Amino acid sequence: MAADAKRPDGGRTPLVQLRGLTKSFGPVVAVRPLDLDIYAGDFFALLGPSGCGKTTLLRMIGGFTEPSGGTIAIDGVDVTRLGPEKRPTNMVFQGYGLFPHMTVRQNIGYGLRLARVAVAERAGRVERIMDLVRIAELAERRPDALSGGQAQRVALARALVMEPRVLLLDEPLAALDLKLRKQMQEELRRIHRQIGGTFVFVTHDQGEAMGLANRIAVMEAGSCVQEGGPEEIYRQPKTRFVSSFIGEANVLAGERRAGVVTLGAGAGFAEAGADGTVSVVVRPEDVRLDPGADAEIRLDGRLEDVVFLGPYTRYRVVLDSGEEVVVHAGDAAGQAVGERVAVGWRRDRQRLVQGS
Amino acid sequence: MLAPAAAVFAVLFVAPFAFLFVVSFWRVKTFKLRPDFTFDNYADTFTKYLEPLVFTMAIGFAIATLTTALAFAFAYVIRFKAGRHGNALLVVTLVTLFGGYLVKIYAWKTILGTEGILNSALLALGLVREPLTIFIYNPGAVVVTLTHFLLPLAVLPIYGSLRGVRDITLEAARDLGARPARVFLDVVLPQCLPGVTAAFAFCFLIAAGDYVTPRYVGGPYTSMIGNFIEGQFSLKFDWPSGAAMAFTMLGACLACVAVSRALLGLARPR
Repeated sequence: MAADAKRPDGGRTPLVQLRGLTKSFGPVVAVRPLDLDIYAGDFFALLGPSGCGKTTLLRMIGGFTEPSGGTIAIDGVDVTRLGPEKRPTNMVFQGYGLFPHMTVRQNIGYGLRLARVAVAERAGRVERIMDLVRIAELAERRPDALSGGQAQRVALARALVMEPRVLLLDEPLAALDLKLRKQMQEELRRIHRQIGGTFVFVTHDQGEAMGLANRIAVMEAGSCVQEGGPEEIYRQPKTRFVSSFIGEANVLAGERRAGVVTLGAGAGFAEAGADGTVSVVVRPEDVRLDPGADAEIRLDGRLEDVVFLGPYTRYRVVLDSGEEVVVHAGDAAGQAVGERVAVGWRRDRQRLVQGS
Repeated sequence: MLAPAAAVFAVLFVAPFAFLFVVSFWRVKTFKLRPDFTFDNYADTFTKYLEPLVFTMAIGFAIATLTTALAFAFAYVIRFKAGRHGNALLVVTLVTLFGGYLVKIYAWKTILGTEGILNSALLALGLVREPLTIFIYNPGAVVVTLTHFLLPLAVLPIYGSLRGVRDITLEAARDLGARPARVFLDVVLPQCLPGVTAAFAFCFLIAAGDYVTPRYVGGPYTSMIGNFIEGQFSLKFDWPSGAAMAFTMLGACLACVAVSRALLGLARPR
């Protein structure tokens, strides 16, 4: 996953450029002025909780929602005022939006028919795309005779057959059950590898974003709070929100005065920066129980709960300050619930973010 | 479980229907029914009443087409354009159903008549010097009255089927490159075709079978086949002829509906 996190193309111009893009619905601001670059070949995730504006943003890229301000350029062409029928994008809708009165084959061929692609070529392209997403045997079915996973594939094929410059996917796997979701994730990655297009998808599931995307934009309340590769976002979250939204994170309150950070829970360390409240973010897998000498930060507390989860064991420790620290450790150390324990971590494993 | 329903259906519908069908092959002698097996009644229908039969089919077709088109436009606006005012429009449609059939006929009489609202208005505005007689007692008045009466009945099935058209399918069509007219023809229309067909058939059958409206607003020269059938039963006591005319009309109506359905079916995707 993290291996291909690098930009697929060094310094070329982005395929999709959003500049100052904003959308208000009456007094409600759905998307605040936002700049975003998406490069050719990216598998790009717009990640955020529900109501953060990610779907509105995707719909603006697709041309279904008119922006209140700002511009959208695709391939260097300003498409801000163009309808979806004139954009080089195609969308896989969350509810699929298959035409109920057409067969699977007719659904997939519809866009090519509108584009006046010759019958023979149309048939060939529909056939190839059905093979690619593995639905060839469903060709003559009607959408109401498809399962959720099959409908998903048909919707994907219908968009992909148009060979869009940008494929937009709105919560593509949200309606599928867990097993099918995992399977479709692999399928999507395979298809992206195979045809090498640019995919932009919306999700509220951080696991899905990490599992699919090479670039992730984390959105909160209409703004893009951080954009980067999955590993960067996981390892170096810029805000407390990002750290707790992506994966599990321990967040401890502290205060910085004259370059010295003092945690409410006890420990302190020197780190330059503005005075004020700060938060220390550390991942459960980076925290040790009974830490060795290399742990610069050490805190004391009481072991509250131990859960064996297979690959690791989850310890919940309540610090003397009342804050909680969760520890994921590979080997059960033998401590009993209720015992006093020490937790600690290396400084290079923690992130300091301004504010609480 | 179905037995009681089947019994009611048999007694109230099948039996009278079957009886009338049998009677259509009988004769009448000195005002009494005589069992027989003759096609004379049907032959008479075609020789004596072909003109009103054709006229009835034609006016029924015109009324059904007009009503379905207007109802479609209305239902389309409620579903896609009116936003939150859509429900208010729908309620208005339903409210007109509370006004009875005869009330509507008399309402149109008072609007279209020589002393009616329309003529009064024209006279008051000085547009005409004396009342116009072209509004009432002609086929046009029958079309206007029946269209008005049938409109809410046609709006409902069409609106019902339009509600089943998901917005997302329209967006998907645009996304694939369809302009508004194509979205309508390829996605909206085929999906609501069952409702449109039902509304059309409904309007056609009611309009073609009507004999009250032509009597009150159609004038002496606008007689539909229903008027003649009524006359056979009530004035002439010639049940066999009336029955033969009724079954001929039924056949003609079903044929018209079948043809309309086939024509509408051409809108299906290839």
